[in-house]
Amino acid sequence: MSDAPKESSPEAKSPEPNPGPVSLFLNENGFSHDLLGVDHLGIEVIGVKPEFFYSIASALKDFGFDYLQCHGGYDEGPGQNLVCFYNLIALGELAISSKAENVKPPLREVRLKVFLSREGEPTLPSLYKIFHGADWQERETFDMFGIHFEGHPHPKRLLMPEDWKGWPLRKDYVQPDFYEMQDAY
Amino acid sequence: MARLETRTEPMVVNFGPHHPSMHGVLRLVVTLDGEDVIDCEPVIGYLHRGMEKIAENRTNVMFVPYVSRMDYAAGMFYEAIVVNAPEKLANISVPKRASYIRVIMLELNRIANHLLWLGPFLADVGAQTPFFYIFREREMIYDLWEAATGQRLINNNYFRIGGVACDLPWGWLEKCKDFCNWFGPKIDEYEKLITNNPIFRRRIEGLGAITRNEAINWSLSGPMLRASGVPWDLRKVDHYECYDDFEWKVAWEKEGDCYARYRVRIEEMRQSLNILRQACEMIPGGPTENLEADKISKGKESKFSGFDYQYVAKKVAPTFKIPEGELYTRLESGKGEIGVFLQGKNEVTPWRFKIRAADLNNLQILPHILKGAKVADIMAILGSIDVIMGSVDR
Repeated sequence: MSDAPKESSPEAKSPEPNPGPVSLFLNENGFSHDLLGVDHLGIEVIGVKPEFFYSIASALKDFGFDYLQCHGGYDEGPGQNLVCFYNLIALGELAISSKAENVKPPLREVRLKVFLSREGEPTLPSLYKIFHGADWQERETFDMFGIHFEGHPHPKRLLMPEDWKGWPLRKDYVQPDFYEMQDAY
Repeated sequence: MARLETRTEPMVVNFGPHHPSMHGVLRLVVTLDGEDVIDCEPVIGYLHRGMEKIAENRTNVMFVPYVSRMDYAAGMFYEAIVVNAPEKLANISVPKRASYIRVIMLELNRIANHLLWLGPFLADVGAQTPFFYIFREREMIYDLWEAATGQRLINNNYFRIGGVACDLPWGWLEKCKDFCNWFGPKIDEYEKLITNNPIFRRRIEGLGAITRNEAINWSLSGPMLRASGVPWDLRKVDHYECYDDFEWKVAWEKEGDCYARYRVRIEEMRQSLNILRQACEMIPGGPTENLEADKISKGKESKFSGFDYQYVAKKVAPTFKIPEGELYTRLESGKGEIGVFLQGKNEVTPWRFKIRAADLNNLQILPHILKGAKVADIMAILGSIDVIMGSVDR
């Protein structure tokens, strides 16, 4: 991580959003982060710098977010950042037998986003040690976006062939030997 | 110290991808010490078709026919989630009748999914007969789908943004109720054959046990999570579609072994049947479905011309633009939580369409619960996870 990622997320341009409960918790404990507002369903989105990412994720786990629901990446566009998102929910506190039938308190959810520059080798600490569920999800992100996860137990491709070149879901990916069907013969 | 004469070196055995009990094209590289599994490495990707990449070049109407190829035992769930994501992003409301039709289809699909799990799982632990029983029952569900959607196993292509592609044909709900009445006793029949069968119970009790904390930490979902003492069902948590209208319970167990997962799935079939029965009665427009005749004779004045009696809100144009914004939406499929992370840029195609497959996440834990098991238990434990490789690889 030589050069700092560019600030180019669409949420960052909008006026400073109100901090949600997760952001307040992070502020209280002195974790620096960026407010990215809420997504369409009202889930709090928090931007995290790669160097603070692991400690913030572990702090959130202690705060009750014990379930890594969905991890994936996306590409902001050619020349722009690669983004990793982590959907965390507080599952354990709700899934208790006495509350089994009618879950009453609202589910706490948060989405962490890490913006990485696509130059060089985008690298992020692996969350495998705190969320084992990150295992294959991180491998898939590595496979599709070429984001390296430091400390991952099996840092290799998951879905594509092991000798595949390139990162298929990046927007600047060029498919090898591509031809239109009408040009086939 | 006495040395065993028969001691052998660890042996690496490759199972799959073309192994009959690998449930498709899963490959396991297993290190064995005699009969004990020391280590196991799953290799997946043999059925990877790049669904997320395909989605980026397709409008929603174009993409829906693809998605039942992902989980080809339960395609309706993927159809549902693929239309739910843009639907929520565009704030399109679904008429009540359409929502009921969706629930009926999804619950039929859940039963079909669990049936197709039950047969192969019993075959994995050595009982062949249930395989033929479940195909008999599943056939009924496929006949129902054929009548409503024109297609049986996959490619139902039935879900649309705002509802479903077409209304249920006349008399369909009665046939669905016939199925419920017929299928209820069949679950009892399975249970009589299997649940307390001493051979079956000794074979799988205590096998592949997962604790509550492990299950949560490994991001398991669906019956895998519920069998480990976590009563977590997105149908109850997220209150999506119209599941709140029905009386039903979350099926869950505490042991976390293969036997608990078996009981959770059997109980879920009963609960699904429960929901189906209620949905067939309570569906707006009624079980007798006189709404079409009424609409024709009375025109706009017919109460069945109202919004809640439509099977689709308003057919979206093929040029429907996915609005700017992002969301993660999820639903409870037969295998667990499937979700879609959708990013729209006000274009007809999505910018990013991340699909969170339930069985990809459930399969991750396999090497860790296989360690120390016997080689013959690999199939039983793998079978109890319920994987469809089309959905794992996407």
